[in-house]
Amino acid sequence: MALPLQPGLTPMEVAFLCEMELVTVIPRQRLESLNLLGGPTPALRPPHRAPLPLWLALLLKRQRRANILPPPWLLPSSLDAIRKYETDTSPQTFSPPPPHPYQISSRPSPTDHISPPFLPSSTADSPPDYLPYHWLELGEILLEACPDDIPEPDRVRTLLRDLREVRMAKMRASVKELEGGGVSSLRGVGAMEVSEGRSFIVGVMDGLRKLGQSREVARREREEDEGGGGGGLDDDEDEDMGFE
Amino acid sequence: MDISDILQDLNARHLDRDPFAGNEDGYGEDGQHSGQADLQALTRAWVNERGAAELLPWPKDGLIERATNRIKQQIELVEQMTGDMDPKTNFSLIIIQTEVERWKFLIRSYLRARIAKIDKHTLHYLSTPALMERLGETEVAYATRHQQLLHGHYLSSFLGSFPVNLQNLNDTAGGISMIGGPDEEGGVFVRGLGSRDGGEGSVVVRGRGRDGDGEIDVQRGEVVVARWSDVREHVEKGEMELV
Repeated sequence: MALPLQPGLTPMEVAFLCEMELVTVIPRQRLESLNLLGGPTPALRPPHRAPLPLWLALLLKRQRRANILPPPWLLPSSLDAIRKYETDTSPQTFSPPPPHPYQISSRPSPTDHISPPFLPSSTADSPPDYLPYHWLELGEILLEACPDDIPEPDRVRTLLRDLREVRMAKMRASVKELEGGGVSSLRGVGAMEVSEGRSFIVGVMDGLRKLGQSREVARREREEDEGGGGGGLDDDEDEDMGFE
Repeated sequence: MDISDILQDLNARHLDRDPFAGNEDGYGEDGQHSGQADLQALTRAWVNERGAAELLPWPKDGLIERATNRIKQQIELVEQMTGDMDPKTNFSLIIIQTEVERWKFLIRSYLRARIAKIDKHTLHYLSTPALMERLGETEVAYATRHQQLLHGHYLSSFLGSFPVNLQNLNDTAGGISMIGGPDEEGGVFVRGLGSRDGGEGSVVVRGRGRDGDGEIDVQRGEVVVARWSDVREHVEKGEMELV
């Protein structure tokens, strides 16, 4: 009954999540709007484009009832530009995620806290210069399901593989930042990368935390004694030297 | 009969029975809990629950009950539609069924993840009223019964032959509680969802580290690694989500 899995999504679950992403399809058959649990689908009228969740788009594609329009970032030219950015412009950190399409305004709105996979980051009108959160899964799924809809699928496949390698190296390197503890940012990271790197990164973090526990407790006590509390960083410099 | 007639008919029937539009369950006005909003909330609840080592609060707004109701109705609808074997409706039927299966997977995986956590630290979640608050009604019943059975089994198999003062399962002798809980300091991956307090909608996270504490502004959509106890408050406020 109980779920025999560790905390954190498995790659299969990430792919499931990715199938909720919206993509743009060009229908080849009419299909009336359906009242699904997650809201009504748009009525499909060829040749008008319509946004659909990926799982439904794949279903239509498999039955040759629609073609999927690849997101602009999946085109070879965009991927090439992003790869250049990843290797040359910013060799240490990931390329930035797409900007949030809905601004936080002064009035609370339901779009304020929306996050992937419910952001339209892979529809036909999404920005071409950013890798969305589900880039790897989405790219792989589309290459698998509809290579005929993607221009130069082989080149896209190679570029995706290159990107994956560059970014995997960054993911591994990010472990160095975990040493001192605290919060470390992985801005721009993808879902599958998180899923892959989770056990390693969390393992390193927890291991280091347990090793450094007495030191952390000692530091806290000392800070409390000094009554400062705020400026923890400088107090420790000297001691660090002694340890390393 | 044309497909559009059928669908219209179904829509009408669907609306008739929509409990969220009515007041049957006492939940909000219509539109407040749209299917899409519920799907997003359910997905987030599932991902959060799968990511955290600790049991998260049971959704108080009746999300799970609502989602279960929706699925039940959609299944009834499918059963009615299976009656007419028009090939055109058949395909709509496949789509509807596929979606129902997806919802069912979400709910099932969510509940199973919770049961796994309750099984692991039953006494912990039953030990204080604040922790018990996090369990849903059926989960409290499950946890209590689970613990009863377990305790009965322990008593009859070995605890019974111990001296009385060693029979407790919740001793705190020596300053160490016997009741183990989940690791609250474990590392998690979280994403900033935006907040009204920080500038530009970023969430300010205060992280504790070995060599120093640091504050970092987490922008919307930014993923960070942090200790669960440092971000729990933000996740419960809905300013961050686990990934």
